[in-house]
Order: sequence, then structure tokens, then C-alpha cells
Amino acid sequence: MRIFFLVLMGVLLATIGLMLQRVFQGPSIFDRMNGLGVITADTILLIVLFGFLDNQPGMYVDLAMAYAMMGCLGSVVLAKYLGGKKL
Amino acid sequence: MISCTFLQEMIAALLMGLGLIFLVGSMIGMLRLPDFYSRVHASGNSETLGTMLVFLGLAVYNGVSITSAKLLIILMFIFLGNPIGSHILTKAAYKTGHPVWTKKRLPEEIMSDGDIKGGEANADIHS
Amino acid sequence: MANLDIVRDKRISGSPAVHLLSMAVLLFGFWMLLSGNTQTKFLVYGVLTAIIASWASYPLLLVPNGDDSKRYFVFGINPFKLIAYFIWLLWQLVLANIDVIRATVRPEIEIDPCVVRFRYQTDNPMARVVLANSITLTPGTVTMNLTDDGVYEVHALTVGAADGLRSGDMQQKVAWLYGEPCDFTLLEGKD
Repeated sequence: MRIFFLVLMGVLLATIGLMLQRVFQGPSIFDRMNGLGVITADTILLIVLFGFLDNQPGMYVDLAMAYAMMGCLGSVVLAKYLGGKKL
Repeated sequence: MISCTFLQEMIAALLMGLGLIFLVGSMIGMLRLPDFYSRVHASGNSETLGTMLVFLGLAVYNGVSITSAKLLIILMFIFLGNPIGSHILTKAAYKTGHPVWTKKRLPEEIMSDGDIKGGEANADIHS
Repeated sequence: MANLDIVRDKRISGSPAVHLLSMAVLLFGFWMLLSGNTQTKFLVYGVLTAIIASWASYPLLLVPNGDDSKRYFVFGINPFKLIAYFIWLLWQLVLANIDVIRATVRPEIEIDPCVVRFRYQTDNPMARVVLANSITLTPGTVTMNLTDDGVYEVHALTVGAADGLRSGDMQQKVAWLYGEPCDFTLLEGKD
């Protein structure tokens, strides 16, 4: 199971790397924000998986919960800013 | 230490494997799809299901405890928050006039190649 | 104590006492989950916090309908119907996800993006929100715009997703969830 967690973390890290490429050279500002949203979702998963690898998931789950609440809000606020008065 | 039975481990591995497939699928979609609106489908939605399945697998692996309940709460947050995020991003793009990519409908174009390069962004979808 | 007038408002659909009680129970459950502590002191704190928080936030959670003749509580849904809808939605999610991933992973991408417009009119504003959220959650369809008079503009990725939207299954399910007649008309797109 430990190996399975490590494989999952490796895939998530690869995804984050590829999304960073999307963030840095996305054609439009919305592409960049989309990449950031994916990175947020993956980071929540990474935090929880790291907790399970560390054998104390209780502590890391609280961190992930706070991050999950913030991730949604951040995206909404930035999109509101980009949409201007029309949104 | 986390102690779990063989059956629990198998169910958790199955759920997380399925989640892994969806996560990789969303990553491939993110890289291959042609424009912003189609990439939102890949990121916002396949990502949601993949993350939810992995969290469900972790909750099964952890057994009945307060940590599992917290994992399910995170799952609910993602379930409610992710579509709101992708919707508001799409709405901002649509209102500011980001063009929608569509396939060209010309018959000779379809006859020659239905390839992805046959399309182009058309802006007259906006009124 | 301005809340007292709001609670006595005759326009609220359903009974305010039930709403307040269910919300307090929900908040107390969340408190227990986060603290995980069963000492008497913390239990009393939790009950007090839950009651005060639900009392203070109740006016914010009432949404008026179009002409302000009725007010609906945001979480005023039948929980059994909600669970049934949730399971149906999860099943749709898995099916649509497999469809989209199959379309993207092929060597030649099989997508045909288009914009579907339809009008879905309900009295309860929450039904619109739930429908828009469900459409966005289902892969292959993303709600791009939702106007005040109930016109949805949805970006559909594949042909199957657009057809599923035009058939109106999800609209009927949401109407059933809120116990309202399904007023659904398809508007012709410009493309």
C-alpha cells in the first residue's frame, strides 16, 4: 500500500509540473487560472497522502480541510476580479 | 499505526486506482484539448471525480474514525466548490468575449480531414 | 432582535422553527466532528455556538423568488429526495466522465464543441442553482451563463453530452427534487 501511495504522489507531482507549464505559457489569463485550480486540487490530495505516509493522517487532514475551503474561494475572487463589472 | 484488513485494503486500492485513471485522463485532456472552454471540462470535472474517488479510498483504508469523517467532509467541499470555481471562471471568460472554438462545418473540410487543426476560433457566437 | 420580525414573516415557505432546529443540529454535528472532544464544557460551548450561529445567519439564508411574494430557505429540501438525487448524479457523473475521457484519449480527438441554450423557469431560485451546479459537475457540459429570466447557456464538449442536455432528464430530476412543475423549453442556438 505504501508503494501505491508513492506512485499516486508521483503522478500528482507530474501533474503539478505539467500544470505549471500551463500556468506559465497558457495563451490567455483564464488558462493560467485553470491550471492554478488544478494545482490547488492536487495539493490537497498530496497533503492528505503525505499524512498517510507519515502515519499520522489526523494532523494533515485538518490542514487539507482548511486548504479545500480556501481553494474554492480564491478561484471565485480572482474570477470576479477578471470579469470586471459585467460579472 | 493504521491497521486494516485485507478486504479493506483491496477496496481502497480499487477505488484509488480508479481515481488515478481519472486523474491521468484529466491531465491528458488538459494537455491535448484545443481551447480554454474545452480544457475546463477536463480540469474541473474529471479532476473532481478522480479526487473524490481517491478520498473515498483513503477513508475506506483508514476505517471508521473521526479522520475518515473529516475526509468525507473534504470530499463534500470539493464536490460543492469545484463546479462553482469552474463555472465562475467560464462565466468571466464568456462575458469578456473569449472566443469559443468550434469545428468548421464546411463539407469539403470534413471530407478531407476531420482533424483537430481543421477548426478555428470563431467569435460570432457572441451577439 | 431584528431577526424576530424576519422569523414571523408570513412569506417564508415552510416553518422557521424546523429550519432553525435542523441547521443547529447540522452545525453541532460539524462542531463535534472538528473537536472530537466529549467533555461537558465543550459540549455546552458547542450547543450554544450552534444555536447562536443558526439564529444570526438565518436571514441571510432566505432567498426571495422573482416578485418577492415568497421566500425560500436555502437548505429547505427533502433529505431523502436529496440522497436519491445525489446517488443518481454520482452515477451520471461516472458515465459522462468515461465518455469524455474516451473522447479525449483517442489518437484523434472526437470533440464537437457547441453552445446549447435553453430556458428553465422555476419559482424557487435554489432549483436553478442546483441545476446549474449539476450541469457543471457533469463532464462534457459547463454552464457558461445564467440570466435572471432563467436562460441557460451551456458549453457542451461532445455530441452525446449536448444530446443528453437537450433530452431534459436532469431538468426533470431537479423539478422532482423541489416538487415543482418542469417548465423547460429549448432555445435555438445561433450556430
